[in-house]
Amino acid sequence: MKQPLIEFKDFTFRYKSQTEATLHDINLTIYQHQKILILGASGSGKSTLAHCINGLIPFSFEGEIKGSVQVAGIETINASIFDLSKQVGTVLQDSDAQFVGLSVGEDIAFSLENDNVLRKDMLMKVTDAATVVGMQDFLAAVPYRLSGGQKQKVSLAGVIHEDVQILLFDEPLASLDPAMGKTAIELIDDLHNINQKTVIIIEHRLEDVLHRPVDRIILMDEGRIVADTTPDQLLVSNLLSTYGIREPLYLSALKHAGCEVLASDGPGDVHTMDLSRFDDQLKAFEKKYVASIDKQYASKLIEVNHVSFAYDKEKVLKNVSFDIYSGEKIAIVGKNGAGKSTMAKMLCGVIRPDEGHILINQSDYRQMTIKELGEMMGYVMQNPNQMLVKDIIKDEVGLALKLRKMTEEQIDERVNEVLKTCNLYSMRNWPVSAVSYGQRKRITIAAILALKPTVILLDEPTAGQDYRHYTEILSFLEELHEKMNLTILFITHDMHLAIEYTDRAIVFADGECIRDDQVYRVLSDPEIIERANLKQTSLYSLANRIGRTPEALIDQFITLEREGKR
Amino acid sequence: MKDKFLINIVPGDTFLHKLSGTTKVRLFVALLVFITMSFDLRLILPVFILTLIGVISAKPNWKQVKLIMSVVLFFNLLNIFLFYVANPTVGEYWCGQLTMLGKLNNYFVFPVETFWYLFVRLIKMLTNFMVSLWFITTITPSEFAAGLYSLGVPYKVCTVVSLGFRYIPDIARDYENIKISMQLRGVEMDAKRTKITERLKQMVLILVPLIITSFDRVQTIANGMDLRGYGRNKMRTYYCEHESTKADKIFQFLTLILFIFSIGYIISVNVWPPQTRMWCPIVWR
Amino acid sequence: MKRSLGSLLLGKWDTPTVVAVAIGAALFGVLMNYGSITVFTNTRLTTAMLVPVIVGGLFGALPAAVACFFGNVFADLLGGWGYWFDWSTGNAVLGFMVGMLPVYGANIKEGVFNAKHAVIFAVIAVLANMIAFGVVTPIMTMLLYGGELTITFMQSFAASLSNITVLILAGIPLLYALAKRYAKGTNLSRE
Ligand SMILES: Nc1ncnc2c1ncn2[C@@H]1O[C@H](COP(=O)(O)OP(=O)(O)OP(=O)(O)O)[C@@H](O)[C@H]1O
Ligand SMILES: Nc1ncnc2c1ncn2[C@@H]1O[C@H](COP(=O)(O)OP(=O)(O)OP(=O)(O)O)[C@@H](O)[C@H]1O
Ligand SMILES: [Mg+2]
Ligand SMILES: [Mg+2]
Repeated sequence: MKQPLIEFKDFTFRYKSQTEATLHDINLTIYQHQKILILGASGSGKSTLAHCINGLIPFSFEGEIKGSVQVAGIETINASIFDLSKQVGTVLQDSDAQFVGLSVGEDIAFSLENDNVLRKDMLMKVTDAATVVGMQDFLAAVPYRLSGGQKQKVSLAGVIHEDVQILLFDEPLASLDPAMGKTAIELIDDLHNINQKTVIIIEHRLEDVLHRPVDRIILMDEGRIVADTTPDQLLVSNLLSTYGIREPLYLSALKHAGCEVLASDGPGDVHTMDLSRFDDQLKAFEKKYVASIDKQYASKLIEVNHVSFAYDKEKVLKNVSFDIYSGEKIAIVGKNGAGKSTMAKMLCGVIRPDEGHILINQSDYRQMTIKELGEMMGYVMQNPNQMLVKDIIKDEVGLALKLRKMTEEQIDERVNEVLKTCNLYSMRNWPVSAVSYGQRKRITIAAILALKPTVILLDEPTAGQDYRHYTEILSFLEELHEKMNLTILFITHDMHLAIEYTDRAIVFADGECIRDDQVYRVLSDPEIIERANLKQTSLYSLANRIGRTPEALIDQFITLEREGKR
Repeated sequence: MKDKFLINIVPGDTFLHKLSGTTKVRLFVALLVFITMSFDLRLILPVFILTLIGVISAKPNWKQVKLIMSVVLFFNLLNIFLFYVANPTVGEYWCGQLTMLGKLNNYFVFPVETFWYLFVRLIKMLTNFMVSLWFITTITPSEFAAGLYSLGVPYKVCTVVSLGFRYIPDIARDYENIKISMQLRGVEMDAKRTKITERLKQMVLILVPLIITSFDRVQTIANGMDLRGYGRNKMRTYYCEHESTKADKIFQFLTLILFIFSIGYIISVNVWPPQTRMWCPIVWR
Repeated sequence: MKRSLGSLLLGKWDTPTVVAVAIGAALFGVLMNYGSITVFTNTRLTTAMLVPVIVGGLFGALPAAVACFFGNVFADLLGGWGYWFDWSTGNAVLGFMVGMLPVYGANIKEGVFNAKHAVIFAVIAVLANMIAFGVVTPIMTMLLYGGELTITFMQSFAASLSNITVLILAGIPLLYALAKRYAKGTNLSRE
């Protein structure tokens, strides 16, 4: 029997520091044993909604509440956060922040410690919880030895001993490499099916969540629920494009082929959806395919020759070689800890090879100082907060020029030019702290561009950003690429980015460069995918279902997407 | 950074490692009191030897320990030397007499008592160091927290110890990254090439983002802890803190005796006006 | 909402306070090891001194003192120059006094920090160093290691000077920056 578990009634919430309400007139009922996905652009109020369920609102965030929320029969406004934590287990987005123990076992035990459980009872419960998530052999492991995915699993284990009914995940995939993300979704699904939990997932990456079925999708925009429907219905509506959510790749591919997908085809799952109606269209689509020609580049810019490097004893880079040509767009991909960021630091000269050498424009880069290399090679780190030091946007962008002792006029000219290219000119006198994460990222890019580098290295440029911001940043880079013939290296876990914006992928696994080839070839090679913890995109599954080689389908898809963007 | 801690994050498996946090913290406190109260070589030397054995038995990372030992030895020798320079006749205060061996000039004289005092002081400081070295090499931060809790320290204060250690590697990594990004933008980090005022300015350039990123996570971490019931009860238990074994009980008993002895010693020797301030084999009374 | 002097000094000790103190102590430990310049034996010109400024500004005096005390212990554990409880205690006292910002009305979280606060802060920074290293540390040294304070006083003097330099030259701009950050960006318009 369907039993309501969470009930929002005419619920409105305003943060104390805001003048406008963040959630408006929410009416939502979630039943026992459902699996729900909440979608929506950044700032649409998803996390705020989650905080109302787990009790952080009003416990930790002050504000004004109208209407009511009941969770398992408890009115949350009157309940303590501790009572609610017996009903709702929350896994926060940032697994580094949620991991408070000094070892896996300790972190899983954290809520038991707080509950004053005797140690002998604790040991058993911890082992049980760890077994559920498959971490029982890692109880003594320390946090910085774990990958992002493993940390996520530990966070999950830490909230399931209370026998909670509801599990709440706020962006569980944000920091994971593709293979880890897939494992996480499978694990969540098992908890839903085997342990009979009610599951709520908040996530931007629709395609990845749909790897396992969900019952309902709730779409939010500006604090309101704009759709509450099944995946099949949502995928065939135009809501996704209206609210800036990325459509799964297989659906885009089917659209390119001219197929009109209906909810009755079951588009929610690429493995089971009914494709029989589209035989003709797909055949015609296949006929249109012309294999793309590898781009040729004239001048070799950087040559990495048999480079090895170790921070301590263990080699982090092992005999790595590749070339970079002027004007290329390259994706550097591979699993967590494979040595990608280390390679980026090495290209910038912050660390230098123990063995092997790097040539830049044919001359050995050992003679160049970090400062000189910095002018040529721009490195944009993953976290913009690690790069921003000044109060005012204009000063931030001009900092490096000032340090290079340029005159005021020269600086002004250069800064204004860059700010205009980056669409930041109108905000040049704003404090850095008053802009959004995506804009901060753009400021860091502007600060690097002010040095007029010939190569720009971006470490995880899109992590944690919604599709709208993501597209904004990438089309901007694309523009610079065209205008200034900038060579761009993306370090990324995002296969969509690789597919849509780069020509070549350099794949790292455990310190070795295991492949250097066109993106579509890399993504259709099962062995590389396996070794580098990548994931087969849904295009790969689609290709298998319609009897085409994945390589051809992905190649054709990329070509069409690029044409579409022009 | 990660593996360069002297303190172990992962529990070791020697005898001392296996004692509970409570035992180790109590013994540590008792030993510190004991070392602090006395200037008597006859009391200090045994502790020095025992803790040295303790350190050796804990099989620490010798490369690190050697480095630290030489640094500490260097600083203490320097300190002792400065002490001598500051007052070459300091031995008179401690031993009540001066026996001259010779002199350089009227100020720099060489009395035996001063050398004796400086020697004892050096051993005392080194013992102090040995006690902490033994403690650090055999305990984990979590046991440290649990041990403090067992002494009646409020658990919110104990959490500072374990949580602080949890985030040190993260902060160190942030520091490194910020420094790199500043270097690439042209900040000169070479200590020899820049003036002190310049370096201070650059430090601020690194610090502002470091502080902001560090304190930005406070709210998220606190939310995560609240959601798992932190602060729900007045008391808590510790996952890392195993029940007392036989060895724990023996050590705790010994600690108690040591502690009682120290209290007695402090009352009878330190508080009551002392006859001689320190035991000195060459002074016969 | 008015809070009593006692609660301003002691702080609230809710979960965010505990976390901030822990993070502050960790930051102190890291900065002692990476962010300092040696000026005298055992004495460094260290940016770690900014930790009590921030923790105090945001959470009150006692949290600042605890963060300093454990921060010093962490620094000793990481760097390994032995334990100097006399200095840890001195630092805790210093942290307490420097962290008294909310008592005289500087409210960083609300963006309140002006020239008057800066002057009071500077005066307290000087006084705090005199008390912490001119009185408390020597007393502790006397108790712990006995007699002979010349060296301690010389070290205290050097430490105080370097701390005061850092607190005033770096601390005050930092407080302004933080207050600005916490104050909402108002009246922003595109030009
Ligand atoms: N603690 C807070 N105080 C004041 N306003 C807040 C607070 N947290 C969020 N907001 C505001 O509420 C709005 C919704 O934020 P929320 O975090 O719920 O968005 P979200 O949908 O989860 O976005 P994202 O996908 O980026 O996580 C935002 O405009 C934000 O500025
Ligand atoms: N500063 C450092 N000191 C010592 N070891 C380091 C340092 N930085 C990274 N490592 C180690 O080097 C290895 C490669 O790290 P790197 O950051 O290059 O990986 P990555 O491929 O960028 O991973 P991710 O996808 O998680 O960002 C890891 O095992 C890491 O622990
Ligand atoms: Mg959110
Ligand atoms: Mg990386």
